[in-house]
Amino acid sequence: MRIIKLKKDNLFPFLEIISEEADLWAPVKKGDKHAFTIIDDLSKIELETTRTIIPPKKIFTPPTFSMFSISDKGYKEDFSHITKKILFGIHPCDIHGLLTLDSFFKQAYLDPYYLEARKNTLILGLSCWPDEYCFAKSTHTHVIEEGFDLFFTDLKDFFLVWIGSSQGDDLIRLKPELFDEGLKDQDIQTYINWQAERDNAYKWNIKFIALPDLMELKYRDPLWEKLGDACLACGSCSNVCPTCNCYNIMDKQFLGGKDGKIIRHWDACTLEEYSEVAGGENFRKKRSDRLKLWYTHKLQAYISKYGKPSCVGCGRCIATCPVDINVRTVGQALLGEKPDAFWARFNKEVTK
Amino acid sequence: MKKISVEHLARVEGSGGISATIDGKVVTNVKFVVNEGPRLVERLTLGKTPEEDVNIVPRICAICTISHKYAILRAMENALSVKVSSKVSLLRELMHMGEMIESHSLHIYYLALPDYVGFPSAIAMASKFDLEVRIALEMKEFGNHIMKTASGRYIHGENPVIGGFGKFPSDEELAWIKSRAIQFMPFVMKTVRLFCELDYPDCPEEDTVYACCNPDKNTYGFVGDEILLSTGKTIKKEDYKNLTNEFVVSHSYAKRSLYKGKPYSVGALARVNNLGDRLKGEARKMYQRYFNRRWKRNPLFNNAAQALELLYAFERIPSIVDKMLKLSDPPLVTYTKKDGRGTGIVEAPRGLLIHSYEISGGLVSYTDIITPTAQNAEDIERYCLIAAQKFLYRGEEDKIRDRMELVVRAYDPCISCSAHMAEVRNAPPEDWKVRLAKLKERNLPIFIGVGERDRSDDAVGIELALKLKKHGVKDVWLESEVREREVPWNKASHRPLVFLDAVDFREKSGKVILLPLHYIFSDSALSHRLLPFISNGMSYERLKNSFVLGIQPESIEEGRKISSPVRQALLKVLDQIIN
Amino acid sequence: MTKNNNNKLKIGIYELTGCAGDALLILDCEKELVDIFQAADIQSFLMAKSDNIDGELDIALVEGSVSTEKEKKEILDIRKRAKTVVAIGICACFGGIQAAFLDEKEWEANFKEVYGNIKMKHTKPVQSKPIDEYIKVDYYLPGCPIDKEQFLSTLNRILRGNPPELYRFSVCVECKWNENDCLLNKDIPCLGPITRAGCGSICINHNLPCVGCWGPVEEANIASEFQLLREKGFDHDFIKKKMANFSGTGMADFFGKLKGEKG
Repeated sequence: MRIIKLKKDNLFPFLEIISEEADLWAPVKKGDKHAFTIIDDLSKIELETTRTIIPPKKIFTPPTFSMFSISDKGYKEDFSHITKKILFGIHPCDIHGLLTLDSFFKQAYLDPYYLEARKNTLILGLSCWPDEYCFAKSTHTHVIEEGFDLFFTDLKDFFLVWIGSSQGDDLIRLKPELFDEGLKDQDIQTYINWQAERDNAYKWNIKFIALPDLMELKYRDPLWEKLGDACLACGSCSNVCPTCNCYNIMDKQFLGGKDGKIIRHWDACTLEEYSEVAGGENFRKKRSDRLKLWYTHKLQAYISKYGKPSCVGCGRCIATCPVDINVRTVGQALLGEKPDAFWARFNKEVTK
Repeated sequence: MKKISVEHLARVEGSGGISATIDGKVVTNVKFVVNEGPRLVERLTLGKTPEEDVNIVPRICAICTISHKYAILRAMENALSVKVSSKVSLLRELMHMGEMIESHSLHIYYLALPDYVGFPSAIAMASKFDLEVRIALEMKEFGNHIMKTASGRYIHGENPVIGGFGKFPSDEELAWIKSRAIQFMPFVMKTVRLFCELDYPDCPEEDTVYACCNPDKNTYGFVGDEILLSTGKTIKKEDYKNLTNEFVVSHSYAKRSLYKGKPYSVGALARVNNLGDRLKGEARKMYQRYFNRRWKRNPLFNNAAQALELLYAFERIPSIVDKMLKLSDPPLVTYTKKDGRGTGIVEAPRGLLIHSYEISGGLVSYTDIITPTAQNAEDIERYCLIAAQKFLYRGEEDKIRDRMELVVRAYDPCISCSAHMAEVRNAPPEDWKVRLAKLKERNLPIFIGVGERDRSDDAVGIELALKLKKHGVKDVWLESEVREREVPWNKASHRPLVFLDAVDFREKSGKVILLPLHYIFSDSALSHRLLPFISNGMSYERLKNSFVLGIQPESIEEGRKISSPVRQALLKVLDQIIN
Repeated sequence: MTKNNNNKLKIGIYELTGCAGDALLILDCEKELVDIFQAADIQSFLMAKSDNIDGELDIALVEGSVSTEKEKKEILDIRKRAKTVVAIGICACFGGIQAAFLDEKEWEANFKEVYGNIKMKHTKPVQSKPIDEYIKVDYYLPGCPIDKEQFLSTLNRILRGNPPELYRFSVCVECKWNENDCLLNKDIPCLGPITRAGCGSICINHNLPCVGCWGPVEEANIASEFQLLREKGFDHDFIKKKMANFSGTGMADFFGKLKGEKG
C-alpha cells in the first residue's frame, strides 16, 4: 500500500477539488456532538471528532427510504436516494462497522440498495483519538488495513495518507502537487510515537474473548431480568450501533390513484413488535429476552461464526443509553463486576 | 310557539349552535350555544411549571394555537421579567402572520363565501370558482407553511418557548417565505376586491363597541400592551377586567363578556374599525377605497376586514424577513424569577385574546384566559336577535335561520375555544307561564306596573300592580313610585325584576309574552316606556335579571276602560302570580 | 367492506370535546382534500360542509374526548351506525389534556371552581374520558394533532379494507433516526421513551424535550422513566403531573400503583 504525505494546509484545497467529483460528506458539529452531513462549507468540517451520534451506516441505508414506488402498473425499484458520495472523516471503528455490514448484506441474498450505495461512495478514513467511552482496542478495530479508498492519519503538522484503492489514487491524481511522495525517517518515527501514545490513551478494555462462554453460562442469570426492568425499549442501542442492520417495511399508499411507496425503515430487536408474528404471537414479549438476543448477537453468535465480535468498540451505546445498558456495563456484569449503572440501581419495587 | 334552531353550525371551526325562540310575532329568546364539553383548561394549568403550561394552553384551540402560544409567552415573559431580542419578536410576528393567513383565507373562502354565492360547501363551489378555490387553498397552505417553519408543525408546534425559540429557521427558508409572499400579491389584491365588493345585506345593522390590541408606535398590528376601544378609550392590559367582566350563562360552557353592561365585538372588523387609518401601502389604498360607515354597524363586513388584513399580512412579511436576515440567532433567554404576575394580550384571527397568570414558587397559581369567542358571544346573540325580529316584522320568517347562520359565521367563532352540543327544548304553548314559574323558582321577583290609568289598555300594567298589592304580594311598585323614590333594585339584582306593561307585539289582543328586558331596544322597541329604565343607571347584573311581562293591547284611547280580552289576560296573569 | 350505490365508502368525521385540531388537520390536507372527497362519500364533516347526514356509515373518524352526557349518547349512536370506528387524536385515544384530573373528586372540585354552582341546562358534564371508555374502538390514530402523512396513509389502508400500519415504538426511535442527541442524558426531562412515535420527534429536533402529546407507547416503561427522572433530581409531583399532562387516563393505572410511594 502506498503511503504519502499531505501538509495540513493542503487538506481543504484537496477536499475542495474532490468535492466537485461527488457530494462530500463529513462530520460537523451538532449541538455538542457530531453528525455526518453533506458539506457545502468546508470550514464546518470537524477534524477532531470522536463518534458521530449515529454511525455512517445511515449513508448506505438511510433510517427511512423508499424501496419501491407502487402504482396500478406494479412495483418499481426506487434508487432515488442513492447519489455519488465521498465520505470523509470516518474512523477505523466505523470502517470496521461497514465491513461487518458488508458481510451481512452480501450473504445469500444481496441487498441491492446497500450495495448500490456502497458502490457509489468513496471512503476517506481519518485517524482518531479515544475518549472515555472508546474501547476499539479491545475489539481490535482501532486500526484498519482495508475498507477505505484513502486513509488520513493526523500527525499534528501533516497527514500520512494511505492509498487503499485505485479510486483513491484517482483522487490524489486530481492534484498530485498537494502531496509529498518522499517520507523522511523523522516522519516515520513521528508515526510510530503517535501510535504508541494512542494505544496508551485507551482508558479501559473488555476481555471479549471470555464473553461467548459467559453468555452461555449466564443465560438464565437474574441479571437479564434486572436489565429488562430498567430497559426503556427505546431502540437507541440498535440505532446507534454501527453493525445493527435490521429493518422493517411498511407501505404508504396515497389517495386518488397516486403512486404509493414501500418504505424501509430501521428496526431493532429490542422493540416489542420485532418478534411479533402473524396472529399477534410474540416470541420475545419480555424486554429481558430481547436484550438477551441483542447481546447474544453482539458478544457470542457473531464471534462463533466470524471469530470476532460484531461490536466495533465505538462506545456509542455507552454514550447513548439513558439507563446505562451498554456493552461496557453488561460486559462488566457478565464478568462478575458490579457496574455503576442506572439499571443496577433501579428497583422496580420502589415505584410500584 | 316555534323555535328556529341551527343545532350544528356547519362550517365553523368546532361545533356549536344558535337558536331563536319565537312566540307569535316576538322573538323571546336567542341563544348562541357552544356545545362542547367543559375542559377546565384554566384549572389544568395550576400547579404546573410555566413551561408546561406553554405546552398545554395552546391545545385550547387548534386554529388559534399560535395566538394562544404567543399570548401565554407574552404573559409568562411579562411575569418572569424575560426580555427577548428583536429576532425573537420578529419570528413570533412572522408565525402570527402565518396563522392570520391560514385562518382568514380558510374562513373567507371556505367557510363564508359559499353562503354568498349559494353553495353548501367550498368543495361544491369549486365548479364555479375553480381558480379562487385552488389559489385560496395554496394561500392557506402558505400560512400553514409559515407556521410550520416557525413553530415546528402545522398545529401545536412547540418551537416557540419562554425566552425565544428552540431553533430558528435557516436564512434560505426565510428567503423562500418572502419570495412566495410577493408572488401571492396579485391574488391577494383580487381577494380584497372580491370580499369588499360582496353585497353584504343591511340586516342586522346596529352600533356596537369594538375592542382590539393597541399596537405600539401608532402602527397596525396584532399585539400591544393596551386595549383600544372604538370609543377612543384605552385600557392597560393589566386592567383588562375593566373590559371583559366574564360571567357564566347556563346554556353554554363558553364564558361571556360585557363592557359596561353592553356587548362588544372583537375581531378583524374591530381591528380595521379601530386601526384602519394606520394602514400603509396597498392596504391603505384599499382601506380608503372600500371603508365606509356601514363597516361600523354591520358584523357581516368582518369578511371584508379579513380580506384587508390578508393584504396587510402579505405586505408585512417581506419586511419582517428582511429584518430577520440581518440578525444572528440569539440563544434562549434564561430566567431565575420564581414569582410574578403577568398578562399578555394578542389578536387572534378572530379577535382579542387575553392571558393572565400568577406564578408562585416556580409554579402557576392563577390563570385567566379570555377568548375572542367568549367576548363576541353576547354581540352574536344581539345581532341575531335584531335580524330575527326584523325578518319577523317583515313577514320573512323563512329567512331567519339562514341570516342568523350568516351572522354567526361572519364572526368566525372559534367554538372549540370552549365549546359542544345544545339541548333544544320545546316550550309549551303558553310559554310565559313556564318562564314566570322559573323566575319565581329562582328568586322572589320584584314587580313594577307601567302605564297610564284611564287610557284603556295602557292601564293594564298599573291595574295589575294594584291588584297584586291588594292580594298582599310583596315588592310591587308602580311606575310613579319608582320615579319618586329611589328603588334599591341594583342592590337586589339577584331577584328578578318584572315590568308589567301593555306592549304592542302586533299580536292578537290579550296575548301575554314574557321576555328579557334587554330584548327591547332601538328600532325593535316594543314599549317606549321601558326604554328609560334600561338606559338610566341600571347595572349590568340588574339588566340581565330584568324582564317584561307584556300584554298585547286591543286599542289605546283616552278615557276608555280596559278591553275585555286584555282584562281576561290580566286575570290570568294575576292568577298565575298569586298561585 | 361493503360499498354503497356510487361505489364509495361512507365516512363520517365527528368532533367531541377537544381543540378540533384533528378535523382541522384533515382540512389542512389541502392538496389531498379533493382526493379524499372523491375517494369516499363524506356523509358528515361539520367543519367542512353543511349538508351533513347522520345515517349508516362504513367508517367513523372520531376526534375529542367524551365530556358530557350528550356526548356519551352521541358516541354510542356513532358506534351503532358505523361499521368501523377510528379514534383520531390524543383526546379520543387517551382523553387529552382535559383528562389530566385523574381523580373523580378532583375533577368535581375543579368544575365548581370554574363554573360555580350554576346548573348547566343544556347537557350534564362528566369527567373527560377517551371514547373507548364507552364503545369498542377498532383503530387508534394517535397524535396531537394527528400527522398528515400518517392520516392519509391510514385512511387509504382502511378504504382498501386493510388495518392501519402505524409505528408502535417510542419517539426515541424517530429521534435517533433524526440523529438528535439524547436530552435525558443532559438531565432534561424528556418523555420520548414513554411516548408513541409518529410525530417525527419534532420537539427534540428543535432542541426541546418531548412533552408526551401523542400519549403512551404500548410498552411504555413508565416505572423506569419515572425513577430515572427522580434520580436526575426532579420531584415526584412534577414528574407525575408532567406524565399526565396529555394522557391522564393513559397513565392512570400506573399512578394508581404509585400511591404508596412517598416523595
